[in-house]
Amino acid sequence: MLVRDKAGLAMMFLLPVLLVIIMTCLQDSTFHAVHENHIPLLLLNRDTGSLGVAMEKQITQSGIFDVHKSINGQPVTEEQLVTAVAKGDYLVGIMVPEQATVNIRKNVKRYVAGAFNGKALPPVADEVQVAIYLDPAIKSSFRTTLMSSLREYAVRTESDFIFNEIIAEVNHLSPIPITDVHLARNQVLFTEQYASLKERDKIPNSTQHNVPAWSMFAIFFITISLSGNIIKERDDGSYTRLRLMPCPYSFYLFSKIAVYFGVCVLQFTALMLLGVFVFPYLGLPPLDAGVDYFALILTCTSSALAAIGYGVLIGKVAVTHQQAAIFASISVVIMAAIGGIWIPVFVMPHIMQLVSHISPLNWGLEGFYAIFVRGGNWTSVLPESAVSLLFFALCTGAAIWYNKRKRIDL
Amino acid sequence: MYPAITIKRLVKTYRGNASPAIDRLSLSIAQGTVFGLLGPNGAGKTTLINILCGLRSFDEGEVNIYGYALPRQWKEIKTLIGFVPQEIALYPLLTAYENLKIFGGIFGLRGAVLDNRINELLSQFGLEQSKRRTLQNFSGGMKRRVNLIAGILHRPKILFLDEPTAGVDVQSKNVILESLREMNRQGTTIIYTSHYMEEAEALCSHVAFIDEGSVVCEGNPAEMIKQQPGCTSLEMLYLQLTGKKLRD
Repeated sequence: MLVRDKAGLAMMFLLPVLLVIIMTCLQDSTFHAVHENHIPLLLLNRDTGSLGVAMEKQITQSGIFDVHKSINGQPVTEEQLVTAVAKGDYLVGIMVPEQATVNIRKNVKRYVAGAFNGKALPPVADEVQVAIYLDPAIKSSFRTTLMSSLREYAVRTESDFIFNEIIAEVNHLSPIPITDVHLARNQVLFTEQYASLKERDKIPNSTQHNVPAWSMFAIFFITISLSGNIIKERDDGSYTRLRLMPCPYSFYLFSKIAVYFGVCVLQFTALMLLGVFVFPYLGLPPLDAGVDYFALILTCTSSALAAIGYGVLIGKVAVTHQQAAIFASISVVIMAAIGGIWIPVFVMPHIMQLVSHISPLNWGLEGFYAIFVRGGNWTSVLPESAVSLLFFALCTGAAIWYNKRKRIDL
Repeated sequence: MYPAITIKRLVKTYRGNASPAIDRLSLSIAQGTVFGLLGPNGAGKTTLINILCGLRSFDEGEVNIYGYALPRQWKEIKTLIGFVPQEIALYPLLTAYENLKIFGGIFGLRGAVLDNRINELLSQFGLEQSKRRTLQNFSGGMKRRVNLIAGILHRPKILFLDEPTAGVDVQSKNVILESLREMNRQGTTIIYTSHYMEEAEALCSHVAFIDEGSVVCEGNPAEMIKQQPGCTSLEMLYLQLTGKKLRD
């Protein structure tokens, strides 16, 4: 019957595909927005000295900003800069104040002279305040990333400049000249790599995170269709007719579970194939489906059964189709939210991190992460799969018990 | 020959209700009869049929169907009965043939036996030409006929029918009633509920009026009408026995 239900099939297969593509594209573009795309930046450099020039050079050479210094061919003023950023024409506005080089140079001179004369270090005489204006519509996570990048460039420029100024002052006072040859920056090097349980060539990316996350979401959305189907059969008398046929209730229940399990597996397979073969054509990173296919099958099976068990229970307990549809959809969205589908669990408050452990979507998601981004094998996913299977058994058991109770006691 | 159904002092009270839905009801239905269960809304007809089919439990009393006791021997009883609900209990996106194939398969019919039985019944009910059409494109009368066929594919000994002709045209009603008579001639006991008194009078060899969970009167319709002074039809008798007060 499912094959004839074109709208139902579209809901079960096309919508999850669209969801996975859209969410991956969105998150991928957010990633690129910070690291690869050119963020429109309006720069007002009022400093005519070398500090202003160095800052301008750092920002331009960073490669992540599309630097503008004028509006309609006219040099920008501070007022125009604030207005343009406030209107959203530019994401960032930076204003380097006048006399910035002179003031910094003055401070360095005082510092070096004091050090050579054995005096106490004098306080900073003139601070240089570089104003950064941000589009108010900017998301806080993006703002944090952007500010972190800007601070990095600012600190680098400042330290380079101060370092050079100190050398110049020292050389001016000392008979033995020094150079920065042996004091080059970056003596402490950071090597960054993802910790993985197996040797892997590929690093985690938006695809590795989004395909399993939204596949879990899609698998659990089958609860709406399943619970609705159970209620429809109950309402139109088909269930009564089936109950009066010479087959046990378990046969009815497990044939339903088998059909929906098949749908879940097909749905998941379609999303995996989409990630592996179609994503590269959409400009997205291809999915690396891991090395242990048994682990993948185990996680997919346990997650699908958890979703089906939940759908069967809702279908048995809910009184009307509307009740089941609303409860199933909202509860799945809540479980997705607390399970880390939208926001990673590690950024949640401590209490929510604890709560996330009760979400079946979190169990499945952790299982898929173990395979896709941590390079784990079937033993890595065993705890999550076992909990999901237990959840399926509990939900199905409760549905059978409730069905029996309804028949006998009412 | 023992009765098809024996009910002794049956009591059923729904949870939360003060008065019982079935109140010490006793009834015996002979094999091979067309038995009409008649009564106003809320009289207890559906509850009684659900209990007889094993879909509801009961609090007190005894129910035997062809010598098998409920609820203990429900499994055996299920092989003897057919049930045609008032609702169209079929899958609208499947064809008539596919629907019947599914239900026949669950009844244990297979291969040519099932195919022949489906074709025989579709022909009997005038649906042979439409068997490859999806049910959602059927008229109300056609759906009701398929609904009936799904309940008799396995040749049940007892057939329970809940308002089998509700909302159908005269032609469909005629085909349904004729087929029921034919099944009865072949030995099927038919238990039938309806609000159409004229139809019940014409079809049933035996009727029982049920009101407030008890049997008010039972017997052969013609004899019951004759015995009640001033009555010329089953409907008049029904109104005299159950009153004219609205039941909701």
